[in-house]
Amino acid sequence: MSCSPTPERLIQLNERFRIFCEMAEDLSGLQDYPPRPTFSAKDNLCAMGFQARAGSRILEGYRPPFDATPVWRMRQEGMLLLGKTNMDEFGFGTFSTNSGYDVPRNPFDAGRACGGSSGGAAAATSLLEGHVALGVSTGGSISCPASFCGVLGLTPTYGRVSRYGLIDYGNSLDKVGLMTRDSGSLRTWLPVISGPDPKDPTSCVQPMLDLSPRKVERVAVPLEAMQNLGSGVESSFASALKSLQDDHDILVEEVSMPSLKFALSAYYVLATSEASTNLARYCGMRFGVRNSNISQHFNDFFSETRSANFGTEAKRRILLGTYARMVGFRDRYYMKALAVRQLVISEYKRVLNDHDLVLTPTMPFIAPRFADIEKMRPLEAYQADFLTVPPNLAGLPHLSLPCGYIEGMPVGMQAVAPHWEERALLDIAERWTSKFQMRFPEVAR
Amino acid sequence: MKIGLEIHVQLPTRSKLFCSCPTTADEPNSSVCPTCLGFPGSRPVLNRRALEMAVQIARFLECRVASEIWFSRKTYFYPDLPKHFQITQYDSPVGVDGSFVVGGRSIGIWRVHVEEDPGRIKRVGRSGEEVSLIDYNRSGIPLVEIVTAPDLTSPDEARNFLNELLVELRHIIGTTASDEQSVRADANISLGEERVEVKNVQGLKNLERALKFEASRQQKLLEAGMRVVRETRRFDEERKVTLSAREKELEEDYGYIGEPDLGVYDLSRISAGLLEVETPLRRAQRMSAHYVVDYDKARQVVLTSMAMADLFEALANAVDPEVAMNWTLGPISANWELLLPRMNDQSTKEIVEVVQLVVGRQITDSEGRRRIGAIAMGECPTDISCAVQDEALGSLINDYLNEHPQVVRDHASNPKAANAVIGHVMKVAKGKYNSQEIVEATRKEIERRTS
Ligand SMILES: [Zn+2]
Repeated sequence: MSCSPTPERLIQLNERFRIFCEMAEDLSGLQDYPPRPTFSAKDNLCAMGFQARAGSRILEGYRPPFDATPVWRMRQEGMLLLGKTNMDEFGFGTFSTNSGYDVPRNPFDAGRACGGSSGGAAAATSLLEGHVALGVSTGGSISCPASFCGVLGLTPTYGRVSRYGLIDYGNSLDKVGLMTRDSGSLRTWLPVISGPDPKDPTSCVQPMLDLSPRKVERVAVPLEAMQNLGSGVESSFASALKSLQDDHDILVEEVSMPSLKFALSAYYVLATSEASTNLARYCGMRFGVRNSNISQHFNDFFSETRSANFGTEAKRRILLGTYARMVGFRDRYYMKALAVRQLVISEYKRVLNDHDLVLTPTMPFIAPRFADIEKMRPLEAYQADFLTVPPNLAGLPHLSLPCGYIEGMPVGMQAVAPHWEERALLDIAERWTSKFQMRFPEVAR
Repeated sequence: MKIGLEIHVQLPTRSKLFCSCPTTADEPNSSVCPTCLGFPGSRPVLNRRALEMAVQIARFLECRVASEIWFSRKTYFYPDLPKHFQITQYDSPVGVDGSFVVGGRSIGIWRVHVEEDPGRIKRVGRSGEEVSLIDYNRSGIPLVEIVTAPDLTSPDEARNFLNELLVELRHIIGTTASDEQSVRADANISLGEERVEVKNVQGLKNLERALKFEASRQQKLLEAGMRVVRETRRFDEERKVTLSAREKELEEDYGYIGEPDLGVYDLSRISAGLLEVETPLRRAQRMSAHYVVDYDKARQVVLTSMAMADLFEALANAVDPEVAMNWTLGPISANWELLLPRMNDQSTKEIVEVVQLVVGRQITDSEGRRRIGAIAMGECPTDISCAVQDEALGSLINDYLNEHPQVVRDHASNPKAANAVIGHVMKVAKGKYNSQEIVEATRKEIERRTS
């Protein structure tokens, strides 16, 4: 059974690690007996009683008049919503450093990043026993912070969980998922948030969630994923593979997946194309911030609002996406990226035909220091996603789980299952965590 | 002169295209929700009825109907467009390559697709102090867009084309609105080399005015040896002139991408469930050809009401079609307002009988007119017709037929079989009904049972 933190402790942890960009005003539910399990929602999930700003200044003050379906479903189960977790603006980032509302700190080392974009969600999970965080992944935004903060991060199949009430980044890629400390919580809460929802037509084509046992016996490791890894990550992953064979009787086979190297470019074209249309609505007129003079030509008013309130990365992605959609470039970029997505899907299909999972490290390095992040060029930051992007582009369910520690920082490995086969991920999570000693940060009072 | 039209017609669904807001509302901004206001986190859910209507229209216009379709985002910034993208169809329209015949000329139809309407902007206040008010009630109302080839050759023909098209469309989509508000068009018009686009003209009258103005403007320019500039113009309804929209003269780049929140829709399945409807003008053509009556008269009948056309056809099958047409456009038309709500199988039959009696010289012409007037008033045209509805008589006949089913069976080959019923009823009712009444009622009942 979980032991909830006291309200004071929660506030203290939040001050130290900047988990939440908005916390529940009334935390008295934490002292209920029997204790109520707690959950949090990434700031891009609408929840009544809270602002929904998706980490962006442009949505300052926006209070949605409805709950996102996954939030509503968790509340129906009696879960206590602690707050909205901090994130990169609209999900645009790998380290949660692109938030308009402070930057979450890694619970293992406050000088390092949590990962992104669901950084606050991972920090909350890592710090709070029994806590369930609702995260959102477009191109790896659950796997990455789960890896950096040493927790389990489950991204279900695209269309498994309703996106009603999710503030869009890339609608054809966005997936709501779970971050937990233990596999049992995944098994408990996945069925709660899953299932068709008439308010999101893309959730209505799913086969029923089947969590009956599916024993993982044979996994594939793509050679292409083993390049450009930090040395600590490479060795941690290698010893994890050895343990899978020796301790869990799982056959590990190397495979080649040449199309993986195209996934990153295709992803950034598609995600930014969709994002640039999704972000068009933010203009200071109907909701969110209103801090420029409305008595001027609408074009000037929109430009002023958008220039002042979008962050640098949001502007960069709007420009990239708009460019990729332009006449003359559309075929070369947007249409081509759609074709690459099909290629990646069929390559996974081929490999998953005779393997239960595809395994890779989650991130090529451990959580970086803030000082190092500042030195990174945007392209270097994008390249850090080369292992988490492919399953996201293909809409495949995947899970990041801790597989080792370097310099006291967690290393994650990522398992990818066939479409709708989340149960294979639960199997590996349960078997792996039964033997692997997970660590959690100890934070002094 | 070459004219091409992009016509937008509102589809009369009960709820909007992508949300459940009603399509009718009086108070500005009263029929709105997170979806049609584009609130973050909201999502579209397709109203299939709108898609069905578009498929019916595309089939009617003899388009090739796609087997599956999807939606696209057309991105542009304008205050009446809440998401700053319009959900429309770009690379998968419902139908392409159709045609519509007007005045004996076939006008090409390039495409038919479905999209959502933006809100409505109203400018109030004195010039220089104008304020724009936006009503989002219209945001998300389903539209069908029909794009023609530049096959029209004059403003008159364009008006005529649109007029005839709307007659047919209103019947297909089931709206009685002769509503100038529910139709908007963009028109391309060129007299010389360069074409000019007149955007967003509301209603038929304005379209004709805008085209006439634009045609004469271009004419004058060309006659003066000047050049027509390729541009977008708007129509000023007050001053009845077209004005340069002063927009940059590049093709606007809407950066179309697929709409990921809506999937792929199987039109062949939707199409299979739809019944073919006969539109008014096609019906007039058929009636004219089949009954050999004047097309303009047939057209007048169908444009009055399809129910009047039903009555005409019932008459034309019973008497000489020429006579049927005269009675339809004469006494029936004169009483139509009262007749329309009373039209059913019974009243149709009564009217046909009246005309037959006149044709058979059993009653006079003026008695025939009087009887149609009586039917229109809901009165019994004669005692005879009323007696037919006598319930006691009906049940006597019914009972006898129930006990003697062979009478119904034999009647088809030998109408005299009905005499048994008549003899029986005469005896039981002891002369309460005359023989003509009983014969008539018996015949009707047997027909009912055998049809
Ligand atoms: Zn609505």
